[in-house]
Amino acid sequence: MIRWLARLRSIDRRWLYLATAIALAIPFIVGGRIPMPPTEPFMVTRRLYEAIESCPPNKVVLIDSSWDMGSEAENCAQLECVVRHLCRRRVRFVVVSVGVTQLGPEFAQRVIKKIAKEAGCTYGTDWVNLGFVQAGSDIKVVIENLCRDIHATRPIDVEETPVAKLDLMREVRSIRDVHLVLSITYSPTPDWISLVKGQFGTPVAFGCMTIMSPYYHTFIESGQLCGMLIGNWGAAEYEGLTRQPGKGTELIAFATYGNCMILAAILLGNLGLWAARRSRRQAG
Amino acid sequence: MRRQVVWLITFAGGLYFLLEFLLPANAPAWLGGFGNPFTACRGAVSNFLIVVGTMAFLLGPINLVRSHVQTLRRRQKGRLESVAFLLFLGVGFLAMALQDTSAKQVAERVRKVLFDGLLPAFGNSSMALLAFYLVSAAYRAFRVNSLDSGLMMGSAVIILLGQVPLGDWITYALPDALQLRSIAQWILLVPNTAVQRAVLIGACGGAFAAGMRQWLGIGRRE
Repeated sequence: MIRWLARLRSIDRRWLYLATAIALAIPFIVGGRIPMPPTEPFMVTRRLYEAIESCPPNKVVLIDSSWDMGSEAENCAQLECVVRHLCRRRVRFVVVSVGVTQLGPEFAQRVIKKIAKEAGCTYGTDWVNLGFVQAGSDIKVVIENLCRDIHATRPIDVEETPVAKLDLMREVRSIRDVHLVLSITYSPTPDWISLVKGQFGTPVAFGCMTIMSPYYHTFIESGQLCGMLIGNWGAAEYEGLTRQPGKGTELIAFATYGNCMILAAILLGNLGLWAARRSRRQAG
Repeated sequence: MRRQVVWLITFAGGLYFLLEFLLPANAPAWLGGFGNPFTACRGAVSNFLIVVGTMAFLLGPINLVRSHVQTLRRRQKGRLESVAFLLFLGVGFLAMALQDTSAKQVAERVRKVLFDGLLPAFGNSSMALLAFYLVSAAYRAFRVNSLDSGLMMGSAVIILLGQVPLGDWITYALPDALQLRSIAQWILLVPNTAVQRAVLIGACGGAFAAGMRQWLGIGRRE
């Protein structure tokens, strides 16, 4: 038995790949959503929700949606749940993609257009997509320019309409007209914190991949970040707060099976290690 | 001579940003109360930085083309990949370059195939492979060989369970402080924050030292 267990120490990785594929296919086959437990959401999610709830009517939320297929699995659900909340609350918002990926505006547009249409929000009046802002190697400069003068930094929107012709943008000229900046990307740059929060005092929140989230907890604890969505878990919690289940709640099932697979792999590896040690001791 | 010119530009750039940041927005009244002269040209300097930064983008494709052309010329291993790279680069470039010409419709269709069809599919596939890699890496790396590795594995297990509904369902009947989600949050907010700060302070110290060396041109010959 011990010898058999010791074999677990060196499983061919192809078996692990097969097991992972099966585990990740389960939610597709069973089609099951895992119900969210009746527990209090993580305070970082709640804080973001409260920040949006408290947006005054004369201000907007600025969303930096800088993600594409690379981080679509988590960032898409985050953008979707926040936009759905904004549309329901009739909080006006401006979307921009700063630096990271040129495909950002297209991905954002696809998500927002659908939700805005369902909610009856009009482009140009309730929301605007400014498109991609090239940042070169220095994203700080672009963020600062955007804070000082949005119109000068991005004179046209994603559909190449002059920004000055859009009703919403006549009221939004600089960071002073923004209630909250939310950066949704694989790993948001802390420059948003140092410039937007540090220089102009406007609250900043992030939506990031789960794997990158430990880095940003420093800024939560210090109060520099007013909220954060951590991967699909954050999106699912946010959907729980808004009572609008969506992609986050759906995708958290896949994350659960994936995490379980990782735990199983850890368990197998350690079981094999323990059995190998024991069998060596018995032999020696 | 070239080196000195580069250093001079670096030094002037660093000095500009340092003075612009350190000097107050307005001089004291007894000096005339004039505004910070460096702030006035901040926009132009920022634009200059963006233009120079954007130029650097060309370096990537140029170096890649050179490397792949060399692979083809020398008939080295991986020629097929080089051909694929050059082909996609050429087609992508043409699709974008012909956007405003009479061949606009064809260019738009090619652009759609490349950027809306192939690129997202390739990106999604390569990122999805990470899931398999993660499982394999967890199997090999998380072995409890010592107290340190045991602690790391323990916290990893708590975080993994604490960030999915399964962890909540396992422990939600327990008092709040004993729930997996609470422990996971505590790990992220307390020990993790302390470690991240320590790393950040160290990294900032290093970045400051590296910046000073660059600015003052110390050891630039190396």
